[in-house]
Amino acid sequence: MEQSVSEAVARKIEVREFSAFYGKTQALKSVNFAIPEKRITAMIGPSGCGKSTFLRSLNRMNDFIPGFRMEGAALLDGEEIYGPGVNPVLLRQRIGMVFQKPNPFQMSIYENVAYGLRIQGVKAHSLVSDIVEKSLRAAALWDEVKDRLKGSAFSLSGGQQQRLCIARALAVEPEVILLDEPASALDPISTARIEELMQDLKDRYTIAIVTHNMQQAARVSDYTAFFLDGALVEVGETTRIFTNPDDSRTEDYITGRFG
Amino acid sequence: MQGRWAVAEPQRPAKGLTLYRRIRNFVLGSLTGIAFLVAVTPLLAIIYVAYDRGKEALSLSFVTTMPSGFPVGIEGGVLNGIAGSVILIVLASLLSVPVGVWAGLYLWDQGHTRLAGATRLLSDLLLGVPSVIWGVVGYYVFSTNTGFGFHWGFSGLAAGLTLGFIMIPIVTRVTEQALRDVPRSYIEGALALGATRFQVMRDLAIPAAITGIGTGILLGVLNVLGQTAPLVFTNYYNTGIPHSLVGSNGSVGDLAMQIFIYIHEPSKALHVKAMAAALVLTVIVLLLDMGIRLLSWGSRRYARKA
Ligand SMILES: Nc1ncnc2c1ncn2[C@@H]1O[C@H](COP(=O)(O)OP(=O)(O)O)[C@@H](O)[C@H]1O
Ligand SMILES: [Mg+2]
Repeated sequence: MEQSVSEAVARKIEVREFSAFYGKTQALKSVNFAIPEKRITAMIGPSGCGKSTFLRSLNRMNDFIPGFRMEGAALLDGEEIYGPGVNPVLLRQRIGMVFQKPNPFQMSIYENVAYGLRIQGVKAHSLVSDIVEKSLRAAALWDEVKDRLKGSAFSLSGGQQQRLCIARALAVEPEVILLDEPASALDPISTARIEELMQDLKDRYTIAIVTHNMQQAARVSDYTAFFLDGALVEVGETTRIFTNPDDSRTEDYITGRFG
Repeated sequence: MQGRWAVAEPQRPAKGLTLYRRIRNFVLGSLTGIAFLVAVTPLLAIIYVAYDRGKEALSLSFVTTMPSGFPVGIEGGVLNGIAGSVILIVLASLLSVPVGVWAGLYLWDQGHTRLAGATRLLSDLLLGVPSVIWGVVGYYVFSTNTGFGFHWGFSGLAAGLTLGFIMIPIVTRVTEQALRDVPRSYIEGALALGATRFQVMRDLAIPAAITGIGTGILLGVLNVLGQTAPLVFTNYYNTGIPHSLVGSNGSVGDLAMQIFIYIHEPSKALHVKAMAAALVLTVIVLLLDMGIRLLSWGSRRYARKA
C-alpha cells in the first residue's frame, strides 16, 4: 500500500516497508510514509499504536532499547538512516527531538541551550552566547528568561521548560524536529504558545509531531498520518483527513468512535 | 485545596473525621513515632554508653597523643589508631573508588549484556563474603612471607588493599543504583541532542548521581572503619605510626582494632580507654556522614525540585 503525500513537496524523510520489533512484539507493520520538507506532519492514533516507536526510529533513539529491531528502509534526504556507515550521534544532530515531559538538564538555563554546542566542541564564548540567544528567541522564550540565564532551568514553569527544550534542540541547528506529544503535560495557554511556535518554525524546519489531541493535529499540521495497531492506515493533507478520509477507520477515530 | 473539595462535595461535614479514620490516623501516627524511636534509640544508646564508660579518659590529649605506659595504652591517647584508620581508609579508597565507580558505570551503561549480568552476579556474591574470609585470603595474597603472593608482611598496605577489595562491590552496587535513579528521560534528552554515551555519562549521569555515589563511597568507608577481622590477618596493630607501609615494621594502628585489643586486656583503665576510643570512632563516623551531606547540598544548585 503506497501512501504518497504530495508530489510537489520534497520528501525530507521517507520510510519504506518499515517494521519495528521489541523482542517478539511487532510495534510497526510495513509502514510506507514520507514526511515532507518544511511542513508540519502530525501523527495521530490511539495509545500504543506505534506513534512514538515510529518517531524514535527516525533518530535511532530506539537503538538504546535492548531487543529493538527494525526491517525495511528509512531515508533522510534519500540516504539510509540505518545504513552501515551512519553514525547515529551525527544523525541525531540533524534530527532533533522534544519529548512528552519537559526534560531540562540540571544546569542553568543558558547551559541547557548551550549544551548541544558544547558537545560538538564549540568553545568560542561569543558564538555560543549568540546561538543561545537566537535559539531562545526562536523558541519564544528569550524575553521571559533573558534576565535570569544563570538561574536553574527548574525554576521555569512547565510550559517554559518545554520551550527551553525546544530552544535546546534548535541550538544545534537540526533539519528535522520530532515532537512526541510535546504539549500533553501542559496547560492550555502553554499549549497554545507551543502551537504558535511551531508555525513560526516551519519555514525553516521539517516538523513531525505526535499528538493525542485531534484538535491540535487539525490546528497545527499540514499533513496528518493516522496509525492503528502498528500500521499506517492513511496519510494526507490535514484538511482532507479531517473532512473526507478515505478509510472508514480514520473516520471512526476522528469522530471519536474509538480510541 | 480544602475549599475546592468543599464545593465539590458540600455534604461532607467540615470537621469530625469518622471514628474509623481517627483510629487509623492514631495507629499510623503511633507506628511512625515508634519507628522513629526504634531508629534513634540505638544511636543515643551507643553515644550514652560510650560516653558514660569512657568519660574519665576523654580529653583533647586523648586524640593528639600516642598510647604509652605499661601495658601500652594505660597512658596517652589513640592518635596511632586515628592515623592508622585514616591511612587504611585512604588506601582502601584509592583501590575501590576508581574500580567500583568504573564498574558501576559499566553496569549501568552495558547492564543488559550477558557479561554485565555475570559481573553484577559476581559482585553481589562478593558483597556477601564474610570479612574474615577476605582477611585470610588477604593474608595469603599480601602478607605471608612464604609461598605465592606479595610478601608484604603484616602491613598497612596489605590491610588497606584487603579492605579496598571489601569496598569494591559496595561502591559498585551503590554507583550503579545511583545512576539508575537518574530519570531515563533526562538521559534521552542529551542523547537526542547528539551526545555520545561518554558525554552523557560525564555531563549528566554522573553529576546527577554524584550524591548517591558519594553516599556509596561513604558506606564503604564506614564499613572499612569498623572492620577488625581482616586486620587480624593482614596488619594486626601498631602502638605507633610506621615509617613504611610494607615489611615487618609496616603495621598501622586502627581504632577498631585498638578497641578490640583494649577490651580484651584485664585492665579497668584500658576498658575505659576502649570506650573513649569507641566514642571517638562514632564521632568520626557521624562527622563523615555529615560531611557527605554538606557536599551534596553544595552540588544541588540546579537540582530538580522534588
Ligand atoms: N521499550 C519498549 N519495550 C517493549 N515494548 C514497547 C516499548 N515501547 C513501546 N512498546 C510497545 O510497542 C507498541 C507501540 O508503542 P508506542 O510506540 O509507545 O505507541 P504510542 O506512542 O502510539 O502510544 C505498544 O504495544 C508498546 O507496548
Ligand atoms: Mg507515545
